[in-house]
Amino acid sequence: MALRDDCFHQQHSPALELHVEGPGGGVLWPMLAISQGPLILACLPLVDAPAESRPPLASLFSVSQGLTLLAGLQAFLLGSKGKPDSEGLASRLAMMPFILLQVCPLGTPLDIPQPGASTAPAVPTPAGTQKQPAWKTGLHRGRAVVNVALTEMVRSMQYGNQSRQDLWDVYGTVTCKCEVEGVLPNVTVTLTLPPNGSPLLDVQVHPCVSSLDASILTATSVEDCDSSAFSGPYKFPFSPPLEPFRLCSYTSQVPVPPILGTYQLKEEDNQLCLTVSLKLHESVKNGFEYCEAHLPFFNRNQMGNVNVKVTSGQLDVSKEKNLLVWVIGQKFPKSREVSLEGAVGFSGQLPGPTDPLCTDLTAYIKLHFRVPDMTLSGCCVDQHSVQVYSSAKPRIVTSRELLSSEYYIWNSTGTAPLSSGHMML
Amino acid sequence: MSVNWPERISAFSRSPSQFLCSTTAEIFLTEILRELRDDRANDLIKVLLLSPLLEHPTLLCPSVSVGEETALELMSVFAQCSPKSLQLRCHLLLALTSVLLCSSCVTSCTSASQDFLDVLFQMTQDTNDLQAGAAVRPLRSTACDCLRELEACHPGLLSQRLELLSNLRQQENSRLHQAYTGLHALALRNAVYLLTQQKGAGAEDLKAALGSSEGFVWARGADSEFHSDMALLSPLTLGPMGRVPTLQTGPDSKELRSLISSLLEESYLLTSLSQAALLQKLVEIVSMVPAVSPTIFRAQLLRLLGTCEVCLLHSTLLMKAAFTDSLFSAEDEAYLLKRLVSLSQHPLLSTPEKLFYMDCILHFPENRPISCGDENLPVLLTPRLAAALVPTLFNDSASMLARFNLLSLVYLEEGEEDRDGQGGRGLAYLYDHLTSLLHVMENQGSREMVVTFFRASFLFLLHFCHVKCYSEDLIQRLCDMYLRQTRLAPHLINLADRIQDRLVESGWALALLRALQRSITEAPLSQLTLQDFRWHLRILARVAEEGEVPQRATLSFLLSVITSNSSVLCVSGDWRLGNGLLGVCRRLLLHPSLDSLLTPLADLLQYLTCYYGDTDIQDHARLYYTLLTTLSREKLAGVMAQGGPERGRQAKVHSLSTIMTETEELTTGLTVHQTEEPVLRLVKLDSPEPDAPEPDSKSHNEANSESNSSPRRGLEERESYRAKLQSPGFVSEITLQYHLTHTGVYDPHFDKLFSIRLHFGLTDSNYEEVSDISVPCLFRTRKPPAVKLRLKPKQPYPTTLRASAVFTTEDGLSWHSSLADLHVTFPEVFLPLPGPLGWTREQKNGVFEEIWSEISSVASKGDLDNGATSLFCDQLDNWAVDKLVRNFQRYRISDCSELDKGGCKVLFFLPPQSHVLLRVLTVEENVQVHIATDNWKLLPYINSYLEDITKDLHTAQVNSDG
Repeated sequence: MALRDDCFHQQHSPALELHVEGPGGGVLWPMLAISQGPLILACLPLVDAPAESRPPLASLFSVSQGLTLLAGLQAFLLGSKGKPDSEGLASRLAMMPFILLQVCPLGTPLDIPQPGASTAPAVPTPAGTQKQPAWKTGLHRGRAVVNVALTEMVRSMQYGNQSRQDLWDVYGTVTCKCEVEGVLPNVTVTLTLPPNGSPLLDVQVHPCVSSLDASILTATSVEDCDSSAFSGPYKFPFSPPLEPFRLCSYTSQVPVPPILGTYQLKEEDNQLCLTVSLKLHESVKNGFEYCEAHLPFFNRNQMGNVNVKVTSGQLDVSKEKNLLVWVIGQKFPKSREVSLEGAVGFSGQLPGPTDPLCTDLTAYIKLHFRVPDMTLSGCCVDQHSVQVYSSAKPRIVTSRELLSSEYYIWNSTGTAPLSSGHMML
Repeated sequence: MSVNWPERISAFSRSPSQFLCSTTAEIFLTEILRELRDDRANDLIKVLLLSPLLEHPTLLCPSVSVGEETALELMSVFAQCSPKSLQLRCHLLLALTSVLLCSSCVTSCTSASQDFLDVLFQMTQDTNDLQAGAAVRPLRSTACDCLRELEACHPGLLSQRLELLSNLRQQENSRLHQAYTGLHALALRNAVYLLTQQKGAGAEDLKAALGSSEGFVWARGADSEFHSDMALLSPLTLGPMGRVPTLQTGPDSKELRSLISSLLEESYLLTSLSQAALLQKLVEIVSMVPAVSPTIFRAQLLRLLGTCEVCLLHSTLLMKAAFTDSLFSAEDEAYLLKRLVSLSQHPLLSTPEKLFYMDCILHFPENRPISCGDENLPVLLTPRLAAALVPTLFNDSASMLARFNLLSLVYLEEGEEDRDGQGGRGLAYLYDHLTSLLHVMENQGSREMVVTFFRASFLFLLHFCHVKCYSEDLIQRLCDMYLRQTRLAPHLINLADRIQDRLVESGWALALLRALQRSITEAPLSQLTLQDFRWHLRILARVAEEGEVPQRATLSFLLSVITSNSSVLCVSGDWRLGNGLLGVCRRLLLHPSLDSLLTPLADLLQYLTCYYGDTDIQDHARLYYTLLTTLSREKLAGVMAQGGPERGRQAKVHSLSTIMTETEELTTGLTVHQTEEPVLRLVKLDSPEPDAPEPDSKSHNEANSESNSSPRRGLEERESYRAKLQSPGFVSEITLQYHLTHTGVYDPHFDKLFSIRLHFGLTDSNYEEVSDISVPCLFRTRKPPAVKLRLKPKQPYPTTLRASAVFTTEDGLSWHSSLADLHVTFPEVFLPLPGPLGWTREQKNGVFEEIWSEISSVASKGDLDNGATSLFCDQLDNWAVDKLVRNFQRYRISDCSELDKGGCKVLFFLPPQSHVLLRVLTVEENVQVHIATDNWKLLPYINSYLEDITKDLHTAQVNSDG
C-alpha cells in the first residue's frame, strides 16, 4: 500500500511503473495502460536506452505507437459503442493472438485491427495498376453511397452567480461512411458556417484527409480568436477507407447556451425548497427528441414526501436514488420557459447516495437533450457540397444533431466548484 | 495417448520456469517438434504449438546447435505443409525467425539461417502475386516482416540489396507495399548509418550502396564489434542536444533525395503507425546526410499538424526536435505549442493521450531552448495560454495532477518574485484548488481522492514551500484535518518524509510534525477514541524520530492516556496497540534528548511492564526498560539503530509492526556471538617490570654503611616480619604480565576490537577467583596493550587458567572468544622477600638467617609438620654455577662471592605465607643446594624446578663444549 500510494509517485504521466516480484524482478517502465470496464489493456514500449536512464516520454518514438495501438485494440475489443456484450468480447478476446500477429508481427506495431476484422483473411483484391492504401481492406463494388453525419455536443456550467461566470462550449465531429468504387477515390466534404458564425477551432482530421489548407488549422480554443479569422468554407478532400470513420472534429465557442437555467435551493424545516427555471434560447429549434432535467440529491437520507410542481412536462421520482427526473418532453411551451417549484423532505430511514463534491447546498441539475437536425455553431454539411469524383453518381445523405454533454446548472445558493481556469483571468 | 496441448501450452505460457520443472526444455521441444510433424494434428493445434517457440525461443533453444536443429526441423515442416495451411506457414516463418535470431544462428551465419534467408527473399520477390497468386499474400507479407526483423537485429544484413528492395517496393501495388516500404526504409537507414561510420565514405559510396543488388552482408553480421554499436539498434538521439553522425556527400545526393521524396509521397497510403515509423526512419536518414535539406518534409507538414492520430503528431514533434528552425518557423512553433495545449484538454481525446500531450509540453522541442533539464516549460507557454490547463475538481486524478504540476511550473516565477508575500493570482488559484481538494477529500473521499490530494500537496510544496503564507496555512489545515480524519496518518507521515527527502534544507516537514505533535497532545483526552489513539501513535513515533523536536509532550501524553484509561487500554492488552506504544518508546530510546526523558520514559516502560495485558508487550517493555537503565547511550544507540537511520526509516514506514522486525535486529545487537576460533591470545612478557625493589647496588651501599648495626638486629627484623606476615593485606598477590594480541587467524572483521573484557577461570582450588580485566581497544595495526594478571594463591602451586574474552567489533556487535589456556609455572609464583622498602641487605640477611635456623631447628626436632630441609646436588662447572645463581638474581640475599663460604643465600617468598630458602655452595666440583622451606609440600616442585634449570645448564654446557 505504501508503495502504491506514495505521494512521491508522479501518476500524472501516462507511463506507469510495474514492479515485478520474485528473483530477477525489477521495474518495468514505461508501461502504458488503458482501462475501461472490465478490461485493462497494457503494453510495454521498447526503450532503446540504458536501463538506468529514463529519457522523457516525449522523446520516445515507441510511446505514441503504443498509445495508438492500445486505443486501436480497445476500439476493436469493445466495439464502437464502448460497451460490449460479454459474448462478443469473449470471442474477440479469443481472436487476439491472431489479431496481434497481424497488426503487430514480432512486436512491431504496423496497424490497428479493423472493428469487423476476423481471423480468416478476406479474399484479397487482386493487385491493380494503382497502389492500394494499406488502410483499405478491400474494394467496394456496387451503388455509391456517401453518408456524412455531423454531431455537436454542448457542455455548460451555469452558476447563476455574479462572481462565477457561466461557461459553455461546443465540440463537433463529422462521421462519414463512404461506399465508393475505386482503389483511391476522391471525395471532398465541405463544412460551412452561417454568416457571422464563430470559426471552427482546434480542427483535427483523419489521416485519410489528403491535404489541408493552413487557414483551417490556425484557430485554436486556447487563445482569443479575432473576428477577421477564417470562417469557412472548410474543405476536406480525402480518399475514404471502407469502414465508417471520423473525418474531422472541431470545437466552437458559441455566444449563448441553448438552455439557460437557474436553480435555487433553500433549507427550510428539514426539507429543501426548490426553484428551477429553464429558458430555451430563441435561436434554438424547439423540437427535441428528448429533453430531461435530472436533479440528484446527495449525502442525505432517502426522500420522504416530495411536493413539487412543474409548469410543463412530468416529474418522475426515484426515492431510492434520491433523484428527480423532470421529463420536459419534445417541446418547450410557446413562452420557451418552464419552471419547477416545490419542496422535498428527506425523512427516509436509509441513507441515500453520497458524493464528495455535493455537500450541504452544493447541488446541480444535469440536462440531457437531443435536438435533431440542428447545430449550435450553425455548422452544416450541404448535400450538394459533397463532391465524389467517380463514374457513378452517388447517393449522398447528410444529417446533423445537437447533443448535451456535461450540461450542469448549479444551485446558486450553494458553493459550486470551479470548472475552468479562464474564470480567474 | 492424446495430449491436451492447449492446456499444456497455456501452462507453459503462464509460467515457463515452473512448467519446465516438471519436464526439461529438451523433452518439451522434442514433443512439440514431433507433434508438428504429425499429419493427423490440425493446423490450429500446430499454430498453438509454435507459440512457445515464438515467445520463449531462448528457453527452448539455448544454444546455436539446438537452434540450428530446431530450425531445420521447422523448415522441413514448412516445406511439407499443404499450400492451404496459410496460417500455419505464416507462423512457421515467424517461429523460424525467432529461433534463428535468439539462438544466435544468424550471428554465426549457420547454413539453416542462410537457407531461411533465401527462402524469405524468394517469397518477397513475387510482387503483385504474379506467381503464387493473391491467396498466399499473407505469407509474402510475413516474409517481409521476418526480413525486417532480421535486418533490425542484424543491421546491414540487407545493405547490399537496396536497389532490389527499392524496386520491389515500387512494383508492389497491393496493400503489401506497406511491408516493402517498412523493409526498404529500415535497410536504407541502417546502410546510411554504416556509411557514416566508414572513414572517408562519401557521395560515391552512397550511390553505390543505393544501387547495390548483391548478396547478404554476412561477414559484417558475424563481426562482434559491429553489434556492440548500440546506435544501430536504437533511434539516434536527435535534437539540439543529441549528436548525430553525418555522412559528407557534398551537394550531390540526388538519388537519395528522390528516394526519400518517393517514400514520402506514398506515405499517405500507409497506416498511421507505419507512416509514423517511416517518418522516423526518414528523419534519421536526413539528419545523417546534410546534403538533403529537411525542407523535403515540408509538403507533409500541414497534413501532420492537423492529424488526430497521436503517433503522427508525435512524429512531427520528433521531427521538430531533429530539425528545429531549419524546418519549423517561429509561427509553426507557436502553433504547435497551442495545438498541444488545446489537445491536452480536448474533450474527444482519451486520458492517456491527454497526459502524453502534457508530457510533450513539458519536453517541448523548442527551436531555441534556453535551458536543458528534466522538465522545462517552453518560453512561449504564457500563463494566459496555460490557463486552459488549470486543474479543476472535474478532472480525473491523473489529469488533475498533470495539470497541477504543469501550472506549478508556470506560476513558479510568481512564487519567486514574491517570496514573503501573497504570491500571484495563479498561485492563489492553485492553493485554492488544493484546499478544495482537501475539502472534497474530507467529505467521504475515496482512497483515490486521498492519494490525489497528498500528491497535489507534495507538488505544491515542492514548488512553493518557500511561500510562507501558504505553506504555514497548509500545516494548520492538515493538522485540523488530521484530528477529524486520523486514518490519514500514514499519508501525513509519507508527505513529511518525502518533503524532507526532497527539500533537505526546508523545515516544512519538521514544522508539520511539530504541529501534529502539538495537536495530538493538546487535544482534550476525553474525546480520544481507541482508533484515534492508534493513529496518534503512528504520528508520534514519526515525530520521535526527529532529534530537534522536544519529546516531553509526547511522553506526558502517553503517560496520561495509559494511566488514566488503564482499565481500558492496559487491561485489554491489545497487542497491536502495545506494539504502537513500544514503537514510540523505541524511537525515544534513540532520541538525542534521552537524558532528559529518562524518568518519564522509564516510568512509561515500567508501567507497561507491570500492567499491560499482553505478555509479549510486557516482555518487550521490560527489555526496553532494561536497555534504557543498563546500557550506555552509545551501546543503546548501536543496538536500537542497527542498519543505519535510512534503512531503518524505510522499514518502519512500510512495516505494520514496530517491534516484530526490530526484535531480530535487537537480538543481533544484544546477542553475544561466538567466534569460531580464538582470535586473541596472551603472550607472556619476558622481562617483567620490577614490582618489588630488587636488591640493587644502592641497597648494597646502604648495607655497607650500616654494617655496624647490632647483631641482635636479625631477630628484631624477623619478629617484625613475622608480625607483618600475619597481618591481613600483606603482599599476597603475584602479578604476571602479558601482551594481548591477535592470533594468526586473519579476519578483517576483527581488526579493530573495543571494550575487551578478559575473563579467567580456575581449574583448581589453589587460587582465589581472578577478577576480569578490561582493555579499552585492540587494533591490529597498533602496539599490543599490556595486561597485568594478578593472582592470589591460596596454595603456591603451579596452575592452569581458562581464559576467554568478550569484545565489541566496529559494527557494534558483541563477541565471545575463548583463548588458549594460560599456564602458571612454579617459578612464576616466586616473589622476593617482601620486607619493607628501606631494608638493607644486612637486615634481609638477618631475616634469612632467622628463618633458616628456625626451620632447621624445628626440622631436626621433627615436631613442626610443615617445615622441611633438603639437599640438591649436581656436578656443574664454574660457568654453569654462575649461570645457576644468576637465575636466582631477583631473590638473592647475598653475593655469588659467598658460594664457597657460607653459600649464596636465596629466598623465594611464595604468597600467601610460604618461604623457600636456598643456600648454594660449591664443594669441590659439585654444587650443593641446601633447601629449607616452611611448607614441605613444595619440596617436589622445588626439586623439579632445580632439575629443570640444571638440565638446561647441562644442555647449554654440552652445546658450548661441542
